[in-house]
Amino acid sequence: MELDFDPMSTTGSKQPGKVGESAPLIQIFEPHKAQTPPLIPYFKEFWERRAFALELARFADKAEYLESKLGKAWLILNPLFLSMVYFLLVTVLRGGANKNTGLTTLAHILIGIFMFYFAQNIISDGAQSITAGGRLILNQAFPRALLPFSSSVRAFGQFWPTIPTYFAVVLIGKIFYPKTQIPLANLNYLWAPFIIAALAITAFGLSLIFAVMNVYFRDTSKLLTYTTRIWLYGSPVLWKPEMLHGWHRIFISINPLGPALAATSHVWIEGVRPSNSELIGMSVWIVLAMAIGTYFFTSRERDFAVRI
Amino acid sequence: MADKAKNPELIRLGNSQPSTTMLSAKGYNGDVLIPDDLAIRIEDLSITYKINVDTKKTLKNAVMRASKGEKVRMRTVEAVKRVSLDIPHGSVVGIVGANGAGKSTLMRSIAGIMPPTTGRIVVNGKISTLLALGVGFNPALSGRDNIILGGLAAGLTRDEIESKTDEIAAFADLPDGFIDMPVRTYSSGMYGRVAFAVSVSMTPDILLLDEALSAGDAAFKEKSFLRMRELVEEARTIVIVSHALATISDLCDTAIWMHKGSILAHGEPGKIVEEYLKFLEVGMLPSNLEDM
Repeated sequence: MELDFDPMSTTGSKQPGKVGESAPLIQIFEPHKAQTPPLIPYFKEFWERRAFALELARFADKAEYLESKLGKAWLILNPLFLSMVYFLLVTVLRGGANKNTGLTTLAHILIGIFMFYFAQNIISDGAQSITAGGRLILNQAFPRALLPFSSSVRAFGQFWPTIPTYFAVVLIGKIFYPKTQIPLANLNYLWAPFIIAALAITAFGLSLIFAVMNVYFRDTSKLLTYTTRIWLYGSPVLWKPEMLHGWHRIFISINPLGPALAATSHVWIEGVRPSNSELIGMSVWIVLAMAIGTYFFTSRERDFAVRI
Repeated sequence: MADKAKNPELIRLGNSQPSTTMLSAKGYNGDVLIPDDLAIRIEDLSITYKINVDTKKTLKNAVMRASKGEKVRMRTVEAVKRVSLDIPHGSVVGIVGANGAGKSTLMRSIAGIMPPTTGRIVVNGKISTLLALGVGFNPALSGRDNIILGGLAAGLTRDEIESKTDEIAAFADLPDGFIDMPVRTYSSGMYGRVAFAVSVSMTPDILLLDEALSAGDAAFKEKSFLRMRELVEEARTIVIVSHALATISDLCDTAIWMHKGSILAHGEPGKIVEEYLKFLEVGMLPSNLEDM
């Protein structure tokens, strides 16, 4: 009996023969070329195993909030309280705000914090996903990028309920301060899903890099706690992108999350489309983060089983 | 018993004659042929990796070293050296050897967890593994949730694994209701029994077990042995790494002795275990013992 098989993966993907249901599964494991596994079979298996990543995200969420009385309400309450604290700090530092600009500032901080925390959760949870998945990694063969991907899925699950919260706060604010210029919705809001996707993909690419670093240097995740705090202050979240002029605007462009956060402010607070430089910046950071992240992660993936 | 330490030629386990019917598959470097009676073919396999031998594996330490012009201290480990092996379907193969012999690395490479540095592994069949106790159990989640996660990680669908959870709980001898209790409430024996039950429930063609039979009491061990015998009768293949030498003698039909990354000897389990025990007592390899 001679069977004809499709191209094989060296990463353990299963290739059934073409002679019926009882055909055997043959897996071939060979050395990786250029340190990385062949990427097409890798991503094919990644896609086939996506249910595992989705369930892992769901179960991780369940485990975290199982014994918390307020449960998942904390997902909204935490960034909401944080936004209030930052709003108070910002307005106090500025010597107070009038009732119309005050609501604009609050809305800007609110959506900025929600977006930044979404990216931060992807990065910091993704960074710990490999070291936290020790036994799974030692016991099962699967594309390891599923673990940081699962963290990203989980972060999205925690992020999306904050969007109705934003609308609720702005709606209530507009009742009390009807002269405020914040739009509740307009056609430019159609840009929002693209901006959220750009932020998520960039953050996922970065999480791949930090996940590898955390395997090699276990203090990376601790360092990230402080780094992301400084990152927040350097991002257009507590300040508006228009506050930077001339060459200072480079600080938005060199920040991987900067263009997406600046575009967020334009769409959500001013109701205008993102600027061309923001769209270009988002695209460049997506490509850079994913290309570097994917190469760095897949080329080091083999080491995980001996370094965990 | 054959001494193969200096000779990396292909070792065929068991007494059966090799099949002349070949299966073909496309590998990364071209077509690969494997006789249809083989579950696993290992061709001139070597696995090396680098480990960081610094006591503090931190970014801070790396930066401090870099600032002094020093590099992070790395050591290259040659875990498996030029191993060639054919394992026919229906074999129960035991692997013995001292710590650091390369047993676990060999098992991980067969499972596809640790790709080869050189050589090739061809696996003909669905693999189930129990190479690290716990299968990634999250202690806050229930046994049922953890079984679902373990099954999904192994490549089963949610429906497939959900249909097996009660069967797994029964096989693992979990007391009533424990399947829906958090895993942190389980005893270590229960923890190990569930992990073993998950791995055998997947009806694998090839079952890889690394020190997995230490879980549970004598009754559970007997049950485990029976389940493995059933798998073998269905022409499924089992590879076991264990320091429990009685297990290797009782359960396996062939044994391999690994020493410093190479296959030192292979053959009938009783003889291999006997030689290995002599080595443990006297600290001498078979070639030395023959001279005594």
